[in-house]
Order: sequence, then structure tokens, then C-alpha cells
Amino acid sequence: MNESMITQQVEQYKRDILMQTRQSTLLNYTGAPIIDEERLFFTLLPLLNGEDWNESERISVIAISLIFSALAAHDLVKEQNATSREQQLQVLAGDYYSGKYYQLLAKDKKIDLIRILSECVASITEHKTRFYDQQNYTFEQLVGSIQLIESKPIEQFMEYYSFHEYVFFMKEALLLASLKKEIAAYERMEVTLYINKSSVLKSNVNLLHAEIKKIENSLIHDVRTSELLKDHVKHAVVERVTKCSLETQLREG
Amino acid sequence: MDKMKLKLLYSDLKSDLEVIEKELAVAVNSSSHLLNEASLHLLLAGGKRIRPVFVLLASKFGNYSIESIKNVAVAVELIHMASLVHDDVIDDAETRRGRETVKAQWNNRVAMYTGDFLFAKAMEYITEVQNTYAHEVLSHTMIELCIGEIIQVEDKRLLDQTVRDYLRRIKRKTAILISASCELGAIASGTDPKTVRHLKLFGYYVGMSFQIIDDILDIVSTDEQLGKPAGSDLLQGNITLPVLYAKDEPAIAPLLHSMFEGTISFEDQQNLLKEIRNSDGITKAKQVSNMYLQKALNEVKQLPENSAKKSLQNIALFMSKRKF
Repeated sequence: MNESMITQQVEQYKRDILMQTRQSTLLNYTGAPIIDEERLFFTLLPLLNGEDWNESERISVIAISLIFSALAAHDLVKEQNATSREQQLQVLAGDYYSGKYYQLLAKDKKIDLIRILSECVASITEHKTRFYDQQNYTFEQLVGSIQLIESKPIEQFMEYYSFHEYVFFMKEALLLASLKKEIAAYERMEVTLYINKSSVLKSNVNLLHAEIKKIENSLIHDVRTSELLKDHVKHAVVERVTKCSLETQLREG
Repeated sequence: MDKMKLKLLYSDLKSDLEVIEKELAVAVNSSSHLLNEASLHLLLAGGKRIRPVFVLLASKFGNYSIESIKNVAVAVELIHMASLVHDDVIDDAETRRGRETVKAQWNNRVAMYTGDFLFAKAMEYITEVQNTYAHEVLSHTMIELCIGEIIQVEDKRLLDQTVRDYLRRIKRKTAILISASCELGAIASGTDPKTVRHLKLFGYYVGMSFQIIDDILDIVSTDEQLGKPAGSDLLQGNITLPVLYAKDEPAIAPLLHSMFEGTISFEDQQNLLKEIRNSDGITKAKQVSNMYLQKALNEVKQLPENSAKKSLQNIALFMSKRKF
């Protein structure tokens, strides 16, 4: 499998996800659901690396993407005055995508996976509120929360289908991508999901930079020396990690 | 008075409802201090708990066990609670049941997370039920509930909608979850398919009647009785059945137009509500509600004899005649 085949796989999944969420009013007012390509790529890592993959894995990946689309839709609801029609429908878009993920897995009779993923969503909301309450969380706790928010359902999916060896790469890569996006948005004085909500993160932006550098270096090293990942996957992962360097994000912003 | 009557109607289920109430408190317990506070805030606001009551009663037509059925009852109530928290964001509502809404006490984002948390907890509870068809029913219900809300947002301030549009909307917005409560209670207790079908239809008809009464009460009740400003639906631009029937009356039409154009004074708003209260719209809407009530009672008649049958009948009658 080469890079263009990887792109084709990711694009096919994007089309499948969009097919599941087609709803004319939502499309008119809120647009298509947010699908993070980085996240989708790392969810598909076992498939791209040639692991056995059947219809259940395919359905579960779509369901997991819908969970993230639902959460992302709700992150777009303004803290105050969400009274425009677009904002009202943003609330409902998130609920609609959640219902769709549940329906997909229910039809595939994956009741145990529904339970596991529901626990993930509950946990994600708990960690998201860490950025809104007045408790004192440490820098490490908050970075840990970001990692959980960004990757927990995929981790559970990989555990469920016994793709344990891929969890580390996926978690580190998604944390890295998220921190880079956050820092880039923060330094461009745009809306951030986490930094602007936390005085601990805001006053430790230099630590975040250091964290990014550390994760990036060690991830690239671990990928290059991995005995699990095939060469084309190693190349695709490293390319994604380096292509999305913080400097590039800041420059392209 | 009505609240007393409701307590009396629920008296046979008292101990089981206490189990549900305790389980709801366990369900909303979170490691997040903020989510805990927001969820408890909702729980303490109470509610009629009609969905859990219908789950319990419907399950009495099969092999009733509170230990297993409580998971279904808690799940449907959590879904209802979650949709209310999200509705309050959509409606920018400051109060519900006489208390500040989550979005008013904290902000919209916290309300979104609280709703998401409750939906997730509901799904955790329902997965205790291993019958896969039950999950198809509930997931379909959740999607339909959403589509009902989406249509409601679309139909806001749209005066040329029909009674049929309204009925389709409330079917999805309200009736389908009450219908699913009855159906899921019955399925989870292994009730025979014919009885499940009657219970499902009963829930649907009661839900329709219930929502129409709710829409009438929004206009005829006081702020104190409602725990929110009277006429909230209309102020939000939602056109309900009494308004649909009354909208073309000469004293009402111009006021309605200026309201939706945003040019109405507070005094004229109150006049508009007064005119609708005194119009035929209320009587006609009550007739439609009553028609659904009769259909619900017909379904009850076809259920096998047991103690729950009488309770379903009494609660349906109460829900359709209530004053709060």
C-alpha cells in the first residue's frame, strides 16, 4: 500500500461517515460533520498496516468517528447566546450524530462496544469540564485530560479488536497533533479549546512547547525503529508528524 | 392538588420509584465536581417521572423484576433529562420547573457537556439489556427525537404550517419516547409481542395527548404553575395546536404577525395570550387531545388483565386532564 492508497482509504471512510450523517437541514445550516483526518488516519492504522479487517471493524470506525463529530459539534456551541438558527442546530447536530453512532452499533449487535464507548464519552465530558471548573489541576493532569479527550474511544476500539500494539502510536500522535493545533491557535490569538480556559496551561506555554518537542522526537524515533509498522506506514506516520510541525502550523495560520 | 393526585396514582409503585430515584442519583454521580453539581441540580428539580412509570407498568405484563427493569427506567429518564438540558440551550431558557436552568447557572458549554454526560450514562444503563432489538428501538427513538427538534427549529415562526405538520412534529418530539418507554419496559421483561404492540401504541397515543395538553397549559397557566414564563413556546416562535387553530381569528392574526416580526410590545404580547386563551383554539386542541386519549384507552382495553392495566388507564386519564 502506497501513500495514494492510504489517502484513498481515508477518503473512502470519510465518504462513508458523511453518508451516515446526511440530513438536509443540518447540512444547510451547520454543514457536514467535522471529520478530523489525522484522527481518522490513526484510527485506521491497523488496517493500513495490513491487519485483518472485516465489516464490524469498518462499522465501528464509522461509529467512533461519529462520536468525535458529535463532540466537535457541541464544542462549536457558544458559551453565551447560542440563539441563532445555526447555533441551535449545532446542538441538535451533535445529538443526531450520537444517535447515529448508537444505531450503527445496535444494528451490528455490538452491545458490549456501545457500553465501552458510552463510558468513554462520559469520561471525556468529565475531562472537558476540567477546563471549566475551579479545581486546581496540575499541568500534567491537564495534558493527560487532553490526551484522553482526543483518543480514548479509539484506544478502546483498538483494545476491543485486539490491536493493542497500535495504541501507543495513536495516542501519542493525536496528543501531539492536538497540542500543536492549540499552541498555533493560541499564538495567533484565535479560539482554543483548552489553553484559554486554563490559567495553568496559559502560564506554561513554554512547557507545552517543550512537551511537543519531546513527544515529536520520541514518536519519530519509536516509529522508525518499530518492528510492528510496515515501511509504508512508518513513512506515512513520520510524514504526518513532521508535515504538521508547529512551525508549519504557525506559518500557515 | 394535581401533584397530590399524581402521588396517589403512583402509590402502587412507590417503593420501586424510590429505587429508580436512588439509581438516578447514582447514575449522575461524576468524578467531575462541576458535572455532579449540574446533574444534581437537574435531578433535584424533580419532574413527573412519567417515562420511568410507564417502563415499570409496561414491564408488569411480563416477568417483572425491579432489579433488571430499573436500568431501562433510568435510561429513558436520563435521555429525557439530557434532551431538556440541550433544549434549554436552544431556547435560551433561564428557568425550568421554577429553577434556574443549567445554561443559566453556568453557561451553554457546561449545559452541552452535562447533556452529553447524561446521554452517555443512559446508554451505559440500557446496555444492561441484552435484547438487541431493544437497542434498535431506543437508537431509532433518539434519532427521531432529534429530527423532531430539528423540524421544530425549522418551523419556528412559520404561520402557514398545518395541523398535520404539528402532529408529526410532536410525534417525534414527545410521543415516540413515551411509546418507547412502554415498548422497552415490555420487551425487557419478556412480554409477548401482541401485548408489546398494544403497549407501544398506548404510549404513542398518551404521548400525543400529553404534549397537546402541555401546549395548552403553556398558554392558559400562570408563570407560577408552569415554573417558567407563560406563553414561552409562542415567545420562542413555536406554533402549537391552540395557536394553529386560532391564528386566523381577526383579533389574533395581526398580533401574531407583529410578534414574529419582533415589533410587538409587552402589553400586546399579554393581549395576544389573552385572546388565544379565550379563543376556540383551546377547545379544539382539547378535543384533539381527547381523541388521542380515547385511542390510548382503547389500547389499554386490549391488554391482558392485571394490576398495571388499571394504573395505565388512570395515569392516561390524569395526564390528559392535568392542570400543571
